[in-house]
Amino acid sequence: MNSLDRLIKEKIERDLEAKTRRHFIKTCVTGMGGVALGSLFMSCGSFGSNKGNGKIPLSDRDVNPMASLAPPYPAKVKSVIYLHMAGAPSQLEMFDYKPALQKLDGQLTPQSLLEGKKFAFIKGTPKLLGPQAKFKQEGESGNWVSNFLPHFSKVVDEVAFLKAVNTDQFNHGPAQLFMQTGSPRLGRPSIGSWVTYGLGSENQNLPGFVVLTSGGKTPDAGKSIWGSGFLPSVYQGVQCRSKGDPVLYIDDPKGISRNLKQSTIEAINQINKEEFNKYSDPEILTRINQYEMAYRMQTAVPELMNINDEPEHIKEMYGVKPGKESFANNCLLARKLVEDGVRFVQLYDWGWDSHGDSHANAIDLGLRNKCTEIDRPMSALLLDLKQRGLLEETLVVWGGEFGRTPMQENREGQEMAFKGRDHHGDAFTMWMAGGGIKKGASFGVTDEIGYSAIEGKVSVHDVHATILHLLGFNHEQFTFDFQGRPFRLTDVEGHVIKEILA
Amino acid sequence: MKRRIITTSFFVIIIGIVILLVDYLKPDPLIDFSTQVKPILNKNCIACHGGVKKSGGFSLLFEEEAFADTESGHPAIIPGNAAKSSFIQLLKEDDPELRMPYQKARLSEEEIELLTQWVNQGAKWGEHWAYSLPDKVNIPETVQVAGISSENTKGFIKNEIDYFILRGLDNNDLEPSSPAEPNVISRRLSMDITGLPINTDLYESFNSGNISYENMVDDLLSRNSYGEKWASWWLDHARYADSKGYEKDMGRSMWEYRDWVIRALNKDMPFDQFTVEQLAGDLLPNPSVDQLIATAFHRNTMNNDEGGTDDEEFRVAAVIDRVNTTFEVWQSTTIGCVQCHSHTYDPFKHEEFYNLMAFFNNTRDEDTTGDEPNLKFYDKEQEIKLSKVYDWILKNNNKEVAEAYNNFMKYLEPVYHAHLAENYTNGSLAGSQSIGLRDNGSCYIKDVYTQGANYIYLRYSSGVDASTITIRKDNPEGEILARFKTNKTQGRVIHKFPFKKINEKTTLYIEAENPTISAKTPTSYISWIAFLPEVKGSESPGYSEIDKEFMELINTKTPTLPILVENPDFQKRTTRFFERGSWLSQTDTIEPGTPHVLNDWKSEWPKNRLGLSKWLVSKENPLTARTLVNRVWHQLFGRGIVASLEDMGSQSDAPSHPELLDWLALRFMNEHEWSIKSLVKEIVMSGTYRQSSMNNAILYQKDPENKLYARGPRTRLSAEQIRDQALAVSGLLSDKMYGPSVMPPQPEGVWQTVYSGEYWVESKGEDKYRRAVYTYLKRTSPYPSIVTFDGSSREVSTVRRTVTNTPLQALVTLNDPVYLEAAYFLAKYMTKFDDPDNAIASGYYKALMSEIDKNKLISLKTLYTNSIIEFEQQAESIREFLPVESEVDANLAALTVVANAIMNLDEFLTKS
Repeated sequence: MNSLDRLIKEKIERDLEAKTRRHFIKTCVTGMGGVALGSLFMSCGSFGSNKGNGKIPLSDRDVNPMASLAPPYPAKVKSVIYLHMAGAPSQLEMFDYKPALQKLDGQLTPQSLLEGKKFAFIKGTPKLLGPQAKFKQEGESGNWVSNFLPHFSKVVDEVAFLKAVNTDQFNHGPAQLFMQTGSPRLGRPSIGSWVTYGLGSENQNLPGFVVLTSGGKTPDAGKSIWGSGFLPSVYQGVQCRSKGDPVLYIDDPKGISRNLKQSTIEAINQINKEEFNKYSDPEILTRINQYEMAYRMQTAVPELMNINDEPEHIKEMYGVKPGKESFANNCLLARKLVEDGVRFVQLYDWGWDSHGDSHANAIDLGLRNKCTEIDRPMSALLLDLKQRGLLEETLVVWGGEFGRTPMQENREGQEMAFKGRDHHGDAFTMWMAGGGIKKGASFGVTDEIGYSAIEGKVSVHDVHATILHLLGFNHEQFTFDFQGRPFRLTDVEGHVIKEILA
Repeated sequence: MKRRIITTSFFVIIIGIVILLVDYLKPDPLIDFSTQVKPILNKNCIACHGGVKKSGGFSLLFEEEAFADTESGHPAIIPGNAAKSSFIQLLKEDDPELRMPYQKARLSEEEIELLTQWVNQGAKWGEHWAYSLPDKVNIPETVQVAGISSENTKGFIKNEIDYFILRGLDNNDLEPSSPAEPNVISRRLSMDITGLPINTDLYESFNSGNISYENMVDDLLSRNSYGEKWASWWLDHARYADSKGYEKDMGRSMWEYRDWVIRALNKDMPFDQFTVEQLAGDLLPNPSVDQLIATAFHRNTMNNDEGGTDDEEFRVAAVIDRVNTTFEVWQSTTIGCVQCHSHTYDPFKHEEFYNLMAFFNNTRDEDTTGDEPNLKFYDKEQEIKLSKVYDWILKNNNKEVAEAYNNFMKYLEPVYHAHLAENYTNGSLAGSQSIGLRDNGSCYIKDVYTQGANYIYLRYSSGVDASTITIRKDNPEGEILARFKTNKTQGRVIHKFPFKKINEKTTLYIEAENPTISAKTPTSYISWIAFLPEVKGSESPGYSEIDKEFMELINTKTPTLPILVENPDFQKRTTRFFERGSWLSQTDTIEPGTPHVLNDWKSEWPKNRLGLSKWLVSKENPLTARTLVNRVWHQLFGRGIVASLEDMGSQSDAPSHPELLDWLALRFMNEHEWSIKSLVKEIVMSGTYRQSSMNNAILYQKDPENKLYARGPRTRLSAEQIRDQALAVSGLLSDKMYGPSVMPPQPEGVWQTVYSGEYWVESKGEDKYRRAVYTYLKRTSPYPSIVTFDGSSREVSTVRRTVTNTPLQALVTLNDPVYLEAAYFLAKYMTKFDDPDNAIASGYYKALMSEIDKNKLISLKTLYTNSIIEFEQQAESIREFLPVESEVDANLAALTVVANAIMNLDEFLTKS
């Protein structure tokens, strides 16, 4: 056979294959969430091996670890957007209004408040520092919001505040890990990993757990903060970046067209099917599935990350800056992601560590700028979700890893160039909004200077228990066996905070 | 006739009755606590009755607790009398408020019956299998059952392992698979032993029959690549990384330890020695440099430099990590739970955690920014000087004094770190790491023992001249022990100043004066102070030169490695019990000791880390050898004999082949004398290992996880193997060994760690193509393609990597420039063959050591044709795709696409 003949012959063969292939893709692979390969191989049967002459029984999860699962209990929400202000925002300049602290401004802190306390930087006897923002009661709920957050004050009735969250960690790394994984030490899965492990994702063209960062840095605790710990790494957060490849290696190499990439994946998967016929190893089916998904992800992720096509009024509403890394962009992306069925969207915004050691970290200057950066986008996010009817099936969580002291920081015992506050975990503010949340609620009260909880104190575990509850889990029953024992996100603690539930 | 029938019938009936009676009178079979009772208790009872909780004052965790009086005033279990045992009666309660398990479903009748029988038989307590090791295990007899005599079984048995496996198969009506094809087994073997694809020459000699399978095994085991492959495995256990972890995650130089592991594995250092040197090399008599390097195993703990953190808190965290890691790595035991409470499921008591902690609580490291103690690596010339100084001091002084100086030259210990200073006036702990006293500043350091020294050594830096430092005994009015001036320095220096001899533990009061500087400027930054015993012979000629060389050596900047150094007696810490696991509430003093349930402590062992390491590698320890053989088995089969590699306690998975596990463990210690290479060889020589890994529906249904081993292993390659294989088949792989970690290409902007200021600087030349074990590992931001394939970030010890299969993995091998470059070089090799079919077949063969079959060739050829068509239409895309090529070569571009596809095949990414 000369080479021309061969080419022709191959062309025919190729077309024939392409036909079956298309059929294959159409019937069995497209919209993987619905039709999983496992059932395909059970029902189509033709790929099962010779010798055993039977079908390999596989569940959706066997061939697609991200297959969507129903929660064990009725859920209020389907997805979560978690806004984490890394560095720990000051509750005293944002939500926890303390007029008495204003009166005590500049006075030395009474010893009774310092005894037995450990601080990260405060030494000796610091002075109290009055609120650096002005407060008003807003909305029908009459909840307090400072003038650092003018936009947010208009949506305050959508959220429920937790004013007395408590953590026992007062260094960023451990406290962020605690807030995101339920343990201050490394090795535990993050909330997002637990949730995608438990529920999978409704969108098989995008990662189920997406991480977006802004502020120029990743959080102090490093990438483990969205790690999957002892859960399979398929459930770890996938960072989508604003610069470079949105997801690492998502772009085709230069010079390779989509068409050619499709041919490549088709060739790979055809051969993998041959391999499955020979070895009957279900992992091969999973791999076929994952290559299909990677191909679709390559189109879906850049499309998603492109916010240019959003209508002008939406862009303006969030205050986005296309092409840059910004919290506003990430809020808009978060909405697009949950709209597309992504299970868990985690935002980190870096730069909230208002110690007073620089202009950017001054509680009256830098903090105000940070508030301005998030004010409009996070308010827009709530409104945008609401106008699309998504807020009822989404949980939005806002908070830091701890709060800040009512005392003015005096690093190394000296007065500092700017006004600042030290780390403080005894009582700080978080808020939640969305499905199942009691709108306009405020739970927890701190003392007159905002130092300790006097009622409604809740722990990090309680916050986690509440998030899981809204997603349809009993946090005490949602476990994973590792090292010979069942592990939980909430360890051996945690109570659902019923006071903020609708 | 009739009568005979009747008589016969009568006898038959009588015999029947007798049989029934015998059967009835026969005692019930003895219930086994470990295998029958304990699992029911663990599943249903222990969460409330054991460990943390003892509801009703009743616990089933320890024997003495189970039979003790409960809150009711009586024991819940009355041995021999189930009817009187509330433990049994409450299981049968109808009232759900009273019935146990509380608010849970009733136990099944069988379970209740079993527990009842157990109590009636005397409620004999038993020990879990993991806590004792038999003296001897008999190899099962050859099984001569019909089902086993088929074709496949013939020739299956290659060594003793196979008898154990065969018995399991037979019990489940399964047969072994036929042996894997020569190319398949060669690739599997080479990947398992060296982590690299099989060398073509070696494969050809084996395939042509010039060498035996065993020759091939021996050849692979003798290669340096063996140590590199198995080092990746051990370094996961050791949580080895190139950075300190936590927030700042600054780089640290640990690679000497990685190289030590590679060398130790390659020379097949016996595992007992391997253990002792890593846990306690510093405590061996006259430890060699290598033995000190080995102790870096436990210096791989993280070090927290975050501003505002308490060094003591993170020192304690590191010590706790050492206890946990030691038990995870050597004992398959999660001792971490016991930090806060007695183990819920396993017989480890709360205080036993602190007994173990006491072994590790006396090392010099204190979470300092400088990672002290650091072993200094001197060059040859400096080594000669060091010996000269040592010899001179030894000539004039006793050995103890000479050793003190020797150690100080080697690793600058013992010192008192700046963070010990307290009660500052006009000063502070600057940058969390130095005493910074301003003019008229002062501070105290408590509990200092000067060893009667006549000098104080100070490591400090200063930006100003003419500061006066005065050190007094106890307080501002105390006796002056030293007074000296410090001047501007070039960076950090170690100076010594005369010091008044005292011979007791004392408080040092340190004050600084310098009226010429501003009130905000520190006079100096002191990172530590130290004392050495007085040297005799300092008046003799020659001393000044020795002293000069000594000061030069300790001031020399050398490469370093963090190591373990034990506290001298005067710096010994007391270990205390932590109330509820919190380091802030410490109570009773605790002595070093090992868990009661494990092997006994021998009096000849010192009560320190050295003794602990000997206890671990004692042949009486039931877990060390089992742990190791189980993990080596897992490396080869993708599954452990006990599948839960990290746990061999009562919550672990039951061993699939308990006797094989014990047999291998005993043989590993007694016959292989702890040789890992011999163990690996024994396993890969077995017929079990050499089987084909083909599956089928029947096999899959009977044994989806292949825990009976009716087929060979088929697992995805590790992150390291995937990278190394791609580089190897493309001819790019560098065989350069050892040295500082390298930075192969990584996308921009991956490192974004706060406060670090460190950058990924892409390596040049062959360092771009080194094996993955040499890739720089930053804990908070590990090399992306390695973590994508389930590599560990090594923040904590990883005993088992979960193997996943994700779309992100596909994106790496399809699009990562590293893999595209490998594809390009494989394609260049393929261009040597004129015909595209040949080119594709050759590329496939090079990658997989296997002839391509027709269907696969058609698929790849179709891809090739599609590529050619597209590239020929758009020459520009060839230039974009292969920018390094000056000529536009559509064939090369198309072959690169094909090579990329080959390197993405399941069979390429998998060990079959």
